[in-house]
Amino acid sequence: MNGPEVAAVTRQITQPMLNAYADASGDHNPIHVDEAFARTTLMGGTIAHGMLVLSFISEMMAAAFGERWLASGSLDVRFRAPARPGDTVTARATQQEPKDGRMRYAVECASQSGEALITGTAEVGA
Amino acid sequence: MAVTLTELPAGHEFDMVSIALDDRRARAYRNATGDTLAVYEAQGTVPPLAVAAFALGALLESVGLPPGTLHANESVRAHQPVPEGATVECRARVAQRSLRAGRVFIVLESEITLQGALAVTTRATVLCEAETS
Repeated sequence: MNGPEVAAVTRQITQPMLNAYADASGDHNPIHVDEAFARTTLMGGTIAHGMLVLSFISEMMAAAFGERWLASGSLDVRFRAPARPGDTVTARATQQEPKDGRMRYAVECASQSGEALITGTAEVGA
Repeated sequence: MAVTLTELPAGHEFDMVSIALDDRRARAYRNATGDTLAVYEAQGTVPPLAVAAFALGALLESVGLPPGTLHANESVRAHQPVPEGATVECRARVAQRSLRAGRVFIVLESEITLQGALAVTTRATVLCEAETS
């Protein structure tokens, strides 16, 4: 069961992107949008919403699978490190052995330095 | 705000929330994420991750979130396409609450339905410093 080629997605993280995502999603946690507050935390500054960075993986899979992704796609991931304004994040997928009749990919988002920000698995119905 | 997320016990069930996936909101999400694939317009659907994100945002409106709360894990599964313009219903509960290494870990599970049929399911783990809870 060979799946389609899954093309990488690359995005630059910006503070206006975080602000726009906060407004769209309703998640206004100050760690994402309040630089003065975020500087007082262990993060040392604002960080991107995990769900925003994860959306790059979902976009990558939707581009490859279209409606099948919308109807049967799944993601199971761990957020390993934050993405920050100024970072360039690339989402990639590597096909694995199918499981339970579903196509399976190892997925990740990595920073411009190669640091893994998100790792996990994406599946889609065959 | 009466209670914060980290004060809720395991087994707590949130009040059901209805989430309108109107075109303005869906467009704002796609513009914010940069996910402007034609498939959404062609199918008249909302990205499944947008549905999950809106549900999480709606839940967090009903409880206080300690500043600095972080997202540790996320599982999302689409069960059917969700059309733009639809209203979905979200039922969620605190599946687990634990204290580890001075942090509170909360696992939130949600079922998002469209006209009674399962549309998206999620399981999110969030954490914050215990002293802030």
